[in-house]
Amino acid sequence: MRIRHCFAGIGVAALSTVAFAAPAFAAEGEGAEAELTEVQEHCIHLLEAGGDPEDCHEAPSPILPATNELIWGSAAFLVLFGFMWKFGLPAVRTMMQTREEGIRSDLERAESAKGEAEDLLVEYRAQLADARDEAGRIIEEARAAADSMRRDLIARAEGEASDLRSRAAEDIRLAGSRAMADLQSRVADLSIELAERIVERSLDRETQLALVESYINQVGSK
Amino acid sequence: MSALRLLAEQDPGELVEGLTAVGRGIVYGGAAIGPGIGIGIVVGNAITAMARQPESAGVVRTTMFLGIAFTEALALFGFVLSFIISG
Amino acid sequence: MLGLEFPPISELVEWKSFGPGGLNKVGLIYVVSALLTIAFFMTAVAKGRKQRVPTGVAAIAESSVDFVRNQIIMQTMGTEGMVYLPLLATMFFFIFFSNIFEIIPGVQFPANARIAMPIVLALLVWLIFNVAGIVKQGPIQYFKGILFPPGVPKALYLLVTPIELVSTLLVRPLSLSVRLFANMLAGHLILATFAVLSAALFSASISIVVMPFSFLLLVFLMGFEILVSFLQAFIFTILAAVYIGGAVHPEH
Repeated sequence: MRIRHCFAGIGVAALSTVAFAAPAFAAEGEGAEAELTEVQEHCIHLLEAGGDPEDCHEAPSPILPATNELIWGSAAFLVLFGFMWKFGLPAVRTMMQTREEGIRSDLERAESAKGEAEDLLVEYRAQLADARDEAGRIIEEARAAADSMRRDLIARAEGEASDLRSRAAEDIRLAGSRAMADLQSRVADLSIELAERIVERSLDRETQLALVESYINQVGSK
Repeated sequence: MSALRLLAEQDPGELVEGLTAVGRGIVYGGAAIGPGIGIGIVVGNAITAMARQPESAGVVRTTMFLGIAFTEALALFGFVLSFIISG
Repeated sequence: MLGLEFPPISELVEWKSFGPGGLNKVGLIYVVSALLTIAFFMTAVAKGRKQRVPTGVAAIAESSVDFVRNQIIMQTMGTEGMVYLPLLATMFFFIFFSNIFEIIPGVQFPANARIAMPIVLALLVWLIFNVAGIVKQGPIQYFKGILFPPGVPKALYLLVTPIELVSTLLVRPLSLSVRLFANMLAGHLILATFAVLSAALFSASISIVVMPFSFLLLVFLMGFEILVSFLQAFIFTILAAVYIGGAVHPEH
């Protein structure tokens, strides 16, 4: 694309060369003619002053500097030099320096921001790890608490159960002993009663047996 | 013979003018020989150097232009001299 | 022979003055090129201040100042040559702009094809490098360094001293000015020759067949003259830097 532009530019330049060459040349011709008349006038002056006619034909050599061009060129150069010295180059330099500093400060800022972000990341990671540890610890604690509570409960339940059992056994034992005592007292009563009856009525064997039998039945039915 | 007579019949001023033109041509032509060879040597060696060490091409190119400028100056002296020569 | 009317050289390079103080086309070109450089830098600075990344004019201005700094001064004088940056940059832009008018349509005249300014600039360089050398080294040491370069056998001084004297004090400014002047004059003459030739061939009936070749060569030569314009500005500036650097640092 650029090459095409380049070619187009060269073509335009060349065309304009041809287009302008003729008028430029013509102008040169006219200029030269005017110069010629000037030279002629100068020549006439010279001749009037009694000079040599040979002087008229001397064209200025292209090697010799022309004073007017020298003056104007030097003036232009001095002005340009003053401008470049006082304004142009310092301005360009400050422009480049400010941009350089801007870019450097941007880079530094980006660097510090990156460092900050990294620090933050590390911090977050640490916090996350802490939180995870905390959570694990809490879970562990909860599990331990649950465990101990269960063990507690079980122990308490077992204790209560054994309590209950021992109380029951005690009850049974008490009941048994009370019953036994009751029975003893009753047997003693009965024996006394029986003995009273036996003594009261001396009975025959059959009556005795029947009595014992009836008594046992009486006791058994109780 | 006829050429000499032709010359003799000519205006001496014109003869001088013609000879001046010939002299100018010879001056510039002669002055261009040496620098032509010299620039060839400079550029040839510069290209050799660039081909051997492409990484130093920038320095070589600058030096080459300087060398060309120095060599070319001789041809330009001839060029200017051909303007100085005048009838 | 061919009906080719080639104008005499004085017609091609001498211009009638039309302004005050003998202002003619050459003087006008110098003034315009100075103004162009000023405008160029003003625009560049005005634009470049606002831009983060310089584009267009600002980028060109920066890279050309960088070019003068890195390719011309750093290569020849090192960092302490930065004092001469304004002078050398001014020379570079001034010469380049006044050269490039060689191919600007409608102007088509390199102002440096007149010897006035090349002589002035070369004398300026001559003055500066001599003054810089004398100030830096002291007059005796400086001229001793020029006339009796170290490392030369004593007997050879008979030969070396006159050569060095002439080459340093005479040939340097002469070659500096003549190089610029003659290159631009030759370029202008070549372009004029081919333009005249193309025009003549265009008008002649049968020879129009070869006209494109002459025309194409003209186009090619215009491109070549752009290169020459730049190169001469570059060479003038770098030689000035080399001379000043040589006077300030005698060992190089």
